[in-house]
Amino acid sequence: MTKKVMVVDDDPGVIYTVKRGMEGLDKEYEITTVSSGQECIELLENNQIPDLILLDIMMPDVSGWEVYKKIKENDQWKNIPIVFLTARTDRIAKEAGGFLGDDYIEKPFKVPELKERIEKILKK
Amino acid sequence: MAVKVSLSLKLTLIVVLISIIIVASLSYINVYWQNENEKEIYDKTIGWSVANFAESHAALETLDDNLSSYENLSEILANTDTLYISLVNLTVEYSDILQININTPVDNNLTTIISTNNNSLGSLSNPEYNNDSYENGNTWYRINGSILTIVSPINTHEGIVGTYEIIISMFPKGISYVAQIQFIIITSFISFLILIVALLFLLRKAIVKPIINFRNTAKIFGKGDLDARVDIDSKDELGDLAVAFNEMAKDLKESRDKIQDYNQILENLLQQKDEFIGQLGHDLKNPLQPLVGLLPVVIEEEKDPKIKETLTVMNQNVEYMQDLIFKTLQLAKLRSSNIKFDFENIQLKKEVNHALATEQLSLKERKIAIENRIDEGIIVNADKLRLAEVFKNLITNAVKYTPESGGKITIDAVKEDDFVKVSVQDTGIGMTEDQIKKVFDEFYKADVSTDEYQSTGLGLAICKRIIDKHGGKIWVESPGPGKGSTFYFTLKFGDEK
Repeated sequence: MTKKVMVVDDDPGVIYTVKRGMEGLDKEYEITTVSSGQECIELLENNQIPDLILLDIMMPDVSGWEVYKKIKENDQWKNIPIVFLTARTDRIAKEAGGFLGDDYIEKPFKVPELKERIEKILKK
Repeated sequence: MAVKVSLSLKLTLIVVLISIIIVASLSYINVYWQNENEKEIYDKTIGWSVANFAESHAALETLDDNLSSYENLSEILANTDTLYISLVNLTVEYSDILQININTPVDNNLTTIISTNNNSLGSLSNPEYNNDSYENGNTWYRINGSILTIVSPINTHEGIVGTYEIIISMFPKGISYVAQIQFIIITSFISFLILIVALLFLLRKAIVKPIINFRNTAKIFGKGDLDARVDIDSKDELGDLAVAFNEMAKDLKESRDKIQDYNQILENLLQQKDEFIGQLGHDLKNPLQPLVGLLPVVIEEEKDPKIKETLTVMNQNVEYMQDLIFKTLQLAKLRSSNIKFDFENIQLKKEVNHALATEQLSLKERKIAIENRIDEGIIVNADKLRLAEVFKNLITNAVKYTPESGGKITIDAVKEDDFVKVSVQDTGIGMTEDQIKKVFDEFYKADVSTDEYQSTGLGLAICKRIIDKHGGKIWVESPGPGKGSTFYFTLKFGDEK
């Protein structure tokens, strides 16, 4: 069964990396890409519900935290696992506190590593 | 410890000594003056009486008529302590008369010894009296210290009937030696006390107080309050010193203010530099994403061995670059002043195991044995994530410089006085003394000549900064090249709750 992953990031490099890397490694993944939090919410509202969301934190219009909050407050969406993509290196876990998503991965990341994490979460 | 003798005590001793000298001088003058006074009194009263007595007595023909002579004698006897009166070569007849006349006014008050001696008439010409006695008519008297001796012939109408000798103490009656000495001692003592109090008061005001003022001001100044000034306006040397001190304080304050201004500028520049590096590192990461992310995928996909090899070398360099950016960013953060550390109590063994887990893959590849000997009971107070960074760097380093076969890494920790000493020991290539000195410097690379050990030269500098912020020390020991190295660092105990 094909697994749908939505990537939310304003950096085209990240979007290309995930799309090219994940699809190149495993045909089972279907990658949807959006470049802002607003678009992410719009897609969800159009009932395009993915199996997992990769969410950038530092975005210009709506921040990753806000998108995360909106998703988790919605009864329909709250079960979608979210993996944060962050450029911050060390303090992320502490700063986020209990607010952190299901996982996080630091940029720049290696695609095999990302895939490993995604698989782990989707198994649960 | 050296005994501290305060200035007050020294001054007190000096004052006491000066007072003793002054009081001794005063006492001497007092005694001298007293003696002079005595002489004067004697001259005015007794001396006059004695002289009169002797004169009038000598001039009179008969003892019976010698009334003024008796009065004078009586006066002497009444005003002095007559020690001895003797009548020499006197007939009994005259002796009786004289005895009656002398005894009548003074008998009860004086210790008067009157004796008669009828033996000889020769005492007048006794040369003993001629030596240093004063001649006054036919009467000799002599002053020896405070003792007056009068020797006089007794003239009657029958001629000289005998001689009498009176020995008189010249002190006025009622004033004894003891009383005089007591008086001197008491006055001396009182003046001594007054002198000490007065001198001490003056010295305290003039010397000790200004010095205490100096000391207190210097203390306040030393604690950093450069506005502290000495408050002395006396016109003496201490006043000059105060002016000099205050001028020095002013200059120091100006210098410090200048340095503080420069320091502020430097700090701002440093802050700007750190921010710049932080921003740069951040911006460098994004363009790296496709390289870092996709190179492993592309290498996996590539069938052509030549292209595969090229891509692998590229990937190694990209990884190195990523490491460099990550560590530069981390160093910049560690250097900035607003960095926060979250200290908590950590079980050290667990933390090391966690760090080892992330390195597991490369350890397996390299076939290096690794042992975590840390006692489970050791709890340290540290920032968990930063400490993990230290272990990661040290273990990566140990692995990097240890040969694949037979290599061993041992991690241990021992409790010392009030801290925990952690050691990471390897059986690797070891270090020279020069390397030991420089290994924690930024961008220091142990082996520049070969590319075998690709290194950023920042890992150990980061470790040092992290351990510094923990209030600990980090150092390395090595018996020499080829003999392995041991990295040590110290951490504070955690509360064992």
